[in-house]
Amino acid sequence: MKQVNANVDESAAALKKLLPADDILQFCFTDGTGRRMICLFADAVTDKDLLGEQVFRPLMQYTGGEKAKQVAAHVTAPEVRTERALEKLAAEVLAGNPVLVWEGMDEGLVVGTKKVPARAVTEPPTDVAIKGPREGFVEDVKLNTALVRKRLKTGELRIEFLTVGRRSQTSVALCWLDGTSVQSTVDEIRSKLSAIDIDAVPDSSYLARFLSGRPYSLVKQVGTTEKPDIFCAKIAEGRVGVLADGSPIALTLPYMLIEDFQSGEDYFVPAARATFTRFLRLFALLVAIYLPAFYIASQLFKLQLLPVKLLLTIAGSIRDIPLSPSLEMLLVLLVLEVLNEASIRMPKYVGMALSVVGALVLGETAVSAGFVSTPAIIIIAFSGIGLYAVPNLIEETSVLRLMMLLAAGSVGTYGIILLSAFVLIYLVSTENYGVPLAAPFAPFIRRDLRDALMKYNLISLKERSQTIGSPNKRRQK
Amino acid sequence: MKLSARQICFFLAAVAPAGKLVLMPSVLAARAGNDLLFPVLAQIAVQAALVFAVLLLARDGRTVYAMIADMAGGLIARTACIVFAAFLLFASFVPLVEQKLLVQSLFYDTLPSYVAFAPFFLFSAFLCAKPLAALGRVWDVLALLFLTGFAGILLLSVGSADYGALAPVGNAGAERFGRGLAETTGWFYDAALLLPLAGKFEYKKGLAWKGALCSLLGGALILFFLATYYGIFQEIAVTQLFAFAHMSKYFSGITALGRIDYLFIFAIAFVMTFCAAMPVQAAADALTDAFGRTKPLAVSLSVLFNAALFAVMLVFNFAPSETIAAVTRRLFWIFPLFTAGAPLLLWTAVGIGRLIGRKTHAKK
Amino acid sequence: MRKNKFLHSLPLKLWLLLAAILVLTFFSNDFGLVDIQKTAIILAAGIDRTEEGFELTAQIAVPKGSDRTTGGTSSMEIGGQGATVSDCVSQIYAKTGWVPKFVFCDLILLGEDAARAGAFDALDFFLRNEYAPDSCLLAVCEGRAADILGAKSAVDDASSLALEKLFSDAAKKSGRVMTTTLREFAIGYYGVSASGSMPYVRMQPQQGAQGAQGGAGAQNGGQGSGQNEQEMIFSAEQTAIFTEGKMAGILDEAETLAFSLLGGNVYGGTLPAEGATLSVLRNDGSVTVSAEDGISAALNISLKVRLVNRSTPAAPSDVAKGAVTAEERAAAEKALEEAMRSLWTRCAETGCDLFFLYRELYRRSRADYGKWKDTPLSAFAVEISVSVEGLR
Repeated sequence: MKQVNANVDESAAALKKLLPADDILQFCFTDGTGRRMICLFADAVTDKDLLGEQVFRPLMQYTGGEKAKQVAAHVTAPEVRTERALEKLAAEVLAGNPVLVWEGMDEGLVVGTKKVPARAVTEPPTDVAIKGPREGFVEDVKLNTALVRKRLKTGELRIEFLTVGRRSQTSVALCWLDGTSVQSTVDEIRSKLSAIDIDAVPDSSYLARFLSGRPYSLVKQVGTTEKPDIFCAKIAEGRVGVLADGSPIALTLPYMLIEDFQSGEDYFVPAARATFTRFLRLFALLVAIYLPAFYIASQLFKLQLLPVKLLLTIAGSIRDIPLSPSLEMLLVLLVLEVLNEASIRMPKYVGMALSVVGALVLGETAVSAGFVSTPAIIIIAFSGIGLYAVPNLIEETSVLRLMMLLAAGSVGTYGIILLSAFVLIYLVSTENYGVPLAAPFAPFIRRDLRDALMKYNLISLKERSQTIGSPNKRRQK
Repeated sequence: MKLSARQICFFLAAVAPAGKLVLMPSVLAARAGNDLLFPVLAQIAVQAALVFAVLLLARDGRTVYAMIADMAGGLIARTACIVFAAFLLFASFVPLVEQKLLVQSLFYDTLPSYVAFAPFFLFSAFLCAKPLAALGRVWDVLALLFLTGFAGILLLSVGSADYGALAPVGNAGAERFGRGLAETTGWFYDAALLLPLAGKFEYKKGLAWKGALCSLLGGALILFFLATYYGIFQEIAVTQLFAFAHMSKYFSGITALGRIDYLFIFAIAFVMTFCAAMPVQAAADALTDAFGRTKPLAVSLSVLFNAALFAVMLVFNFAPSETIAAVTRRLFWIFPLFTAGAPLLLWTAVGIGRLIGRKTHAKK
Repeated sequence: MRKNKFLHSLPLKLWLLLAAILVLTFFSNDFGLVDIQKTAIILAAGIDRTEEGFELTAQIAVPKGSDRTTGGTSSMEIGGQGATVSDCVSQIYAKTGWVPKFVFCDLILLGEDAARAGAFDALDFFLRNEYAPDSCLLAVCEGRAADILGAKSAVDDASSLALEKLFSDAAKKSGRVMTTTLREFAIGYYGVSASGSMPYVRMQPQQGAQGAQGGAGAQNGGQGSGQNEQEMIFSAEQTAIFTEGKMAGILDEAETLAFSLLGGNVYGGTLPAEGATLSVLRNDGSVTVSAEDGISAALNISLKVRLVNRSTPAAPSDVAKGAVTAEERAAAEKALEEAMRSLWTRCAETGCDLFFLYRELYRRSRADYGKWKDTPLSAFAVEISVSVEGLR
């Protein structure tokens, strides 16, 4: 690996060769004794005001020795270190930290005056809380770690920075509470992150794939959150958190399915209300998955699932529909998915128009034209609403809903039962970092049921989750 | 990963009973009439004792294969495992036919094509290929589902039941009691299902007692179900093949709300689906013990067994009742032979082994 | 290495294969399935005896189409004939191409001839058919069941729905109707008492109304009963009693009320008492059998009543109290006692063990049952007691 040498021009040229981009600027100046100094920095990600104030101004008056330590002592910036390897120095420049080389010295000085453009801390759109903190993670990992540190002011909070991505050089922060998190889990996550060999990591979801025990799994295996309060609560439970630069979505491991039925707000409202909402979420999720399937099965194979008057209403409404009930439902479902996909991606002002088109044109007109029936639209609408009761599981739920629909349309209610049996076996046999996905229901862990679907009062939740296996068992005395 | 003691208890108390609610009640009603509780009471008592024996046998953490191999060598142990697996496959016949009939009756309004039942074997193969830990966790969920479904159905049914119909006690007489006892042996082999699990669960102190107690608790649920079933259907009980799916429909609220009881019925049917696959799973498990516990072997055996059973079911497709009758009336003796015989034989052999061991030790 | 890779991705491939099969079967969509469009949803079935065997009249619900904004149920009747009820069903299928489904059949109406010839000749089909609910109501009608089902009801779109209103829980509590389901009737028939009952339905034209004016879209008239134009009203205040499956007699209105009161199920029902009408607030009723000193039956009714109406004016304080006079109580007791005696006599004459006394005896003691099982009801000593208590 090439290193900095005493000839400042050669060192600067070598660095510039590694960083030929136009936004890498070079500033040459002399210190108080006339020694030439060259500073290389990336234009958009360096705080030039700070650089001038804390580096250039003191060095221009510097008349001391030429050793790096002496120079560094004269710089007023708080984050200063030395480095010899040219490649590492180039990487620092790219990260926003200016590099200084000068005549007669075979070391470079890295100054931490990075100024990465960052979004302000706002409430995350996917995790809105009526009660509770409204701060959300942003795309800057440093800022995110600050948000975490703000909530966990303890020396036990460990934040370890790793770099992932050959070209993106993404900074990844591994966060855990020493003595509370399971050390073997921390080690395993660290080794998995270190083993990642990929070009770029634009978002934490890339890391999630590598951290999953079953990468091809239908069900997600890594917890996600955009809220620092939830992230910290999970870390305090004994989980390990991963923050990736450039992503506002933090990962938590190990993940259990029940996590997504719990919301941060559950801990800020009375326990009874939290319990009710959790059951409601489960109910909504089951409705979202099963309602279209049972609706189809009831028309094709088992009429008795519906009361006779409702059945006759349905029979009347589908009498002139050209499609079979199953195809009709599939079509409506696909239309819903397309509308959903389009409305998420579209700009807000067009999205409004799209809603009108979706609701009026596709809904009302399709019914009037006899293309689809009203009950089918109602069923899918209800299912669609149910899906959003557990927003973190939308991807999994919508795939399952489609599969259930196919099973119901082909084999009927028995198909639904069998597919559910498959899904159950699949879920209970999935583990991540030694923690079963379906815990605390399968395996049944009685103590952890206090904060599963049921939510006990915070005062009685004295112990940490047994499922995660934290060595520090007590949460409160 | 081993099963936990809790999972064994859940299986005995709240999963295994589900498999006994399909055709057994009507068979019992046909044989023992209003005295249908007594043959079952006897079966439950025997099963609890056998469960106790099997769990106690598994105390030292050895599998059945290991126990036999230690005493008589690998070849005999393998042969024993093959024979036992064959019995379990034979035992799976009744639940499979039940499952098929149940599917036709419960999930369809008109007789469906045979293809509709075929996916069961895919499911069964999938379950058999999964490690035991998954099975134990499945039991955790199924126990909850079964208890919910069972409570729901019974809650809606008890109001329609005339428990006086169980009188006069002793009406059936010894012969019909005996027939009832004999013909229900095809449903009582929980101890045999536990045998391949020996050495694969954590034996905690008192598990044998707890297991026997759970077996009795499960039996109590069956007895309560049977009493309600006979109280509702009385003289026509024998015609009610899938009583659990019909008992709750007489609840007066059903007319107004529609068949809400289907929620509970489907919950139990879901558990029954697993129960139907249990003997096949146990057979595959018994053989993997004998021939090396590897994943490819487990997968191959599960595929092989289920394909074979699928073929058998195809052959007997048109005479399900006759085939069930053949098993329960003529071949019923096979069940106690293995369910009671195997644990007793193992107990004797282990006892002799210990005795010989002690004598050798004394001589030294 | 290659083999390992293959094995590693095998589960995924199998899942994909399974998904492909599922999609294929979804789009082929036919394992002989009979969906809602090919189904005749039978709301009620009427069975009559013919010379060849049976005539089944199925009242089928007809969907109204998506353009309808009014509620209600349209129906039509389709008939089939054959040696067995099953043959009749097959004929209906052959005639219409719709698969008749009995899963929603809530009423089986037997024509009087069919009931007298033996109810279970006809009901056997329903008891055997696992897709027919045994929770459906049973009734006998005067004349032919086809005529009743084919009639235009004055109170509902479909005659079967009008009939079901007569058999509602509220009607049952009034004591005017004794309903029974297929399961209950079958239990009685196959039990040691071999007896049972069904409401007896009569039909009469509604005075001053013509069919063309009413009925929300009913399409009745498959059977050409000749009563299509006339709106009809139904009553079921009489009860047909059965011995060994055959209709053996009819209980009149008073006997039916007494039967209901003996069952102890009446609440809010009314009974006449010499120019006054009393409402039942509490009803305790029982029929017990005793084999201690010979065989005897005891019929007891104990009522708490209040006055609801008197055909003569009264003082406001009296109206507010709703008290029953001693004369009225005595009159009510006398009327009820007569009705009970008449009910018992009719049961004894027809051999109908309407109160399941033999069953009671059988359950209590097999020895007593063995001793008395061949003793006819007419040989039973009977003790009747009625107590009517008014509001104080």
